[in-house]
Amino acid sequence: MRRARRLDALAGKTVCEFWNGVFKGDITFPLIRRRLQERHPGLTIVPYTEFPHSAGSDDPARQREHAERLAQLARERGAHAVISGNGA
Amino acid sequence: MEKAGIPSVVVTTTGFSALARFTGKAGGVEDLAIAEYPGPLGMHDAQTIARNLEGVVEQIAVALTQSASEPHAGSAAFDPGQTVFSGSEEEIARFFAEKGWSDGLPIVPPTVARVEEFLRYTDRPAREQISVLPSANRRATPWAIAANAVMAGCAPMHMPLLVAAVEALGDERASLNNIGSSSGIFPFALVNGPLAREFGVACGGQAISSGTNPAIGRAIGLIVRNIAGFRPGASYMGTFGYPLAFALAENEAESPWPPFHVEHGYEPGTSTVAIGVTNNWGSAPAPYDTPDKRGAEVALELLSREIVRKTRVFNFPARGPTAESVMLTLLLSPPVAKSLAAAGYSKQDVKQHLYQNTRMTLREFEWVVKYTMIERTTVRERVEAGVLPEEFLGKPDDEVRVLSSPDILHVVVCGDPHRNRVMVLEGGHTRPTTRPITLPAFWSRLRNSA
Repeated sequence: MRRARRLDALAGKTVCEFWNGVFKGDITFPLIRRRLQERHPGLTIVPYTEFPHSAGSDDPARQREHAERLAQLARERGAHAVISGNGA
Repeated sequence: MEKAGIPSVVVTTTGFSALARFTGKAGGVEDLAIAEYPGPLGMHDAQTIARNLEGVVEQIAVALTQSASEPHAGSAAFDPGQTVFSGSEEEIARFFAEKGWSDGLPIVPPTVARVEEFLRYTDRPAREQISVLPSANRRATPWAIAANAVMAGCAPMHMPLLVAAVEALGDERASLNNIGSSSGIFPFALVNGPLAREFGVACGGQAISSGTNPAIGRAIGLIVRNIAGFRPGASYMGTFGYPLAFALAENEAESPWPPFHVEHGYEPGTSTVAIGVTNNWGSAPAPYDTPDKRGAEVALELLSREIVRKTRVFNFPARGPTAESVMLTLLLSPPVAKSLAAAGYSKQDVKQHLYQNTRMTLREFEWVVKYTMIERTTVRERVEAGVLPEEFLGKPDDEVRVLSSPDILHVVVCGDPHRNRVMVLEGGHTRPTTRPITLPAFWSRLRNSA
């Protein structure tokens, strides 16, 4: 499948952060958040701390459950988009 | 998120965007949006990260607001029986290597005749789906398994073993989709039961290098490459790469305990193949720059910690004419080397620092000497013989230097230029020897005519 339809703009939207618990996301997410909000008025970013975030599990079934749970939480928070990271 | 209709972007670091796209495609999203952070994030300090994130922020905004370009039309269904190349054995090997279908070694060309011979040794239909192997999510059929087994140099009779191995690889618990890590994770095959002997899978001395083990291991590796889709540098990101996969059988006759497969619920008379994983040729830990400790400092401490965990640490401090030769080769990925250089360390400085600071307590060192050393001796005796220095006669909690000299350390910069990892290779009974490579006078002519 192709990716979901993109937003017309970030201004006034709600974006959620999902962190996988590794690779300095606790440093990068706050910096990215601040700069995006400076440049896009009215952009609301729900920080990664509002969602379950931790390294692992490497069990595929748990990975799927976790992804589904995150998707549900994102919808509940009114997410228009998601930033996830960090992959390295 | 994309499947839920929520646009998303994944933040990756250099070198891992391809793996992210590969994983996204395996998950059903053809054109995963990526924002790439430049370089080894783990080794960057707060200032560098802040500076580098400027570009990432721009990429995120674009990824969430701009449509992707039209995807290419996708390939037509592939007929596995079609001839993909004709030529000499050398030309075939080169073609397969260029396509990424081989491990770089000469292969046995998988002709239709050879594949069909292998298929005689299984009653599974040639096009039956044995497994779907992540992360490429390709169908592993007996035909595809046979082609890789031919290439690896297996015998046709190995088909039942390899079919079982592919079933094991496709078991969700194998989590094959997780093995692309920069740690360098690789599967191995463990064979149990009476068929191990019939298949020629060795379990005794030099097991993985004996019998049919090398060919079977290699076949597993080629299956992981060509069906599961793990290609070094694209989706298979071990910082220092991978040696060939290996296979072994358990020495059930010599074991006082139930064999592996019985522990896992099988009858002793059943033959099984289990797939495990290992960091094939040693651990490659990653030093991280943190607020309380710079990356260079962490790298040096990490190297010391790796050195004292090595098997033959009891010989590392030994000196004099009766001491066993020791060599320790330290592999540093370029970001680690550069962080050390930026902190003012030359190679010699690194060696000198490690010589002075790689220590363990005398209590631990004495344990290693007493319980793991082939020579029946004590630390005191070794000091009296002049093999160990006087500092080894201290108290149990004294920390002693475990390296005899900086000269037993050899620093080599290699590996993924976007990853922060180190690896310590220990060697004994030998010292590194080096010779210049001399080209014949007709070298240029020869190369130009190739």
